[in-house]
Amino acid sequence: MAEAVVLKAEDICKSFGSLEVLKGITLEARNHDVISILGSSGSGKSTFLRCLNMLDPPTSGKVSVHGEEIVVKNGHPADMRQVERARQRLGMVFQQFNLWTHRTAIENVMEGPIHVLKQPKAEVKERAEALLVRVGLAERMNMYPSQLSGGQQQRVAIARALCMEPDAILFDEPTSALDPELVGEVLRVMQSLAAEGRTMIVVTHEMSFARDVSTEVVFMHKGKIAEQGPPKEMFGSPKTEVFQKFIADVR
Amino acid sequence: MDVFGVFAQFWPELLSGVGITIKLAGLGAIIAGFLAPLLALVRVNGGPAAQVPLRFYISFMRGTPLLAQMFLIYYGSGQFRPFLQDIGLWNFFREPFNCALLAFVMNSTAYQTEILRGGIMGVPHGEIEAGKAVGMSYVMSLRRVVFPHAYRIAWPALGNEIILLIKASALASVVTVFDLMGQTRAIFQKTFDFSVYIWAAVLYLCLTAAFVWIWRRFEHRLSPHIHGKRPSLLGAMTKRETA
Ligand SMILES: Nc1ncnc2c1ncn2[C@@H]1O[C@H](COP(=O)(O)OP(=O)(O)OP(=O)(O)O)[C@@H](O)[C@H]1O
Ligand SMILES: [Mg+2]
Repeated sequence: MAEAVVLKAEDICKSFGSLEVLKGITLEARNHDVISILGSSGSGKSTFLRCLNMLDPPTSGKVSVHGEEIVVKNGHPADMRQVERARQRLGMVFQQFNLWTHRTAIENVMEGPIHVLKQPKAEVKERAEALLVRVGLAERMNMYPSQLSGGQQQRVAIARALCMEPDAILFDEPTSALDPELVGEVLRVMQSLAAEGRTMIVVTHEMSFARDVSTEVVFMHKGKIAEQGPPKEMFGSPKTEVFQKFIADVR
Repeated sequence: MDVFGVFAQFWPELLSGVGITIKLAGLGAIIAGFLAPLLALVRVNGGPAAQVPLRFYISFMRGTPLLAQMFLIYYGSGQFRPFLQDIGLWNFFREPFNCALLAFVMNSTAYQTEILRGGIMGVPHGEIEAGKAVGMSYVMSLRRVVFPHAYRIAWPALGNEIILLIKASALASVVTVFDLMGQTRAIFQKTFDFSVYIWAAVLYLCLTAAFVWIWRRFEHRLSPHIHGKRPSLLGAMTKRETA
């Protein structure tokens, strides 16, 4: 039986002024999907991800969360309440972590559930502690972001997204800002999320993650999806020339 | 000249002057402190219709002497007395204290607005996006992300502004307010003992020192993430204050 569709993007186009960045992208994420988005720099991967949660509303096309279309008029969301509700259902993890620097690790994790979802503090605290333990930060809960390494900050950011109990999490190159020796600790956390069936859309340059962890790979080229499929097929027998060249260059 | 005799004789007047100075500078700073964040938001996000008059106001307040601004209000309100009586505001402007306070509020609002604008602009864009991404509304992200961070950035500069205001409050004595400077001048005119000015200086110094102490306590409480790591920022603040 097919899983329920969590997130659906239909024919997304996005221009910045006269620059056409996305030229009609259609993608569907079902429950438990782990979709890796690959593509060279400037192909529009980040922009697409940001269209999904309306950080950059699409110029045209449709984004639906659990079947509910987010209405966009003239490049602006028609109803911000609706967008806020959708964002509460979609976690996001940024390349630069974007932790709130004036709050401790655990305060960062607790912020959304307490103030946005208005959940009881005691309950949230318990969950936040458990999540920080899970990402290996039991000893560092009360530290400020400036006192944490990049890898630790990114794991706090993942815990922050998880604590909202989202239906899907968007990752924008979560390991690209990290020193090579810190990449592994973040990837391991993401792998464990995939293993427990989290729905994830991951923009990444980590080929091993795309190949071994994801259920589907999307290759973007110049604002379009050039090739898409299960990782085995994609890496086993790449069909398009651009994707062949891309994986050859990465190796 | 009798340094201690003057104090022994006139300390009640001097202390009452200190009280008025605290009231004047304190009220001025606090009222301006409520107005500044709203105007700073306009400075950052407002459309041209709001920007142009606001920028003119700020340029005027920062580009003309505070003394002139105070005279404008104090003597200006006298000129318009019949009109002010008609609209029921004369009772307010009749009091020199109120005129001075109004000048200080208007002046400090301009400075605090610009300082806070800098603070708001200093909040990393990514932190604001992170707020949006968890589903915060605009108002909530102001309350939970933008202003908490902006105030931490602006805190030392706001402290400096308030110290300047405490010292500038001495100008109120010129329009017959009996603040610390007003009392001091009155005592000097009675005794011709200039050592009363030494006491005034000592008392102003105590006021500003106490303020700096309190302000820094808050700074440490607000930003342990900075002071845990970079005590050098404190050194920078000391230098600017004494300048
Ligand atoms: N806010 C913006 N204003 C103008 N142009 C933008 C904006 N954001 C992105 N672009 C442009 O859109 C194009 C695609 O950018 P995007 O960040 O989506 O690429 P990407 O695939 O994520 O690249 P990278 O791998 O380097 O992160 C780029 O040419 C970029 O300059
Ligand atoms: Mg990108």
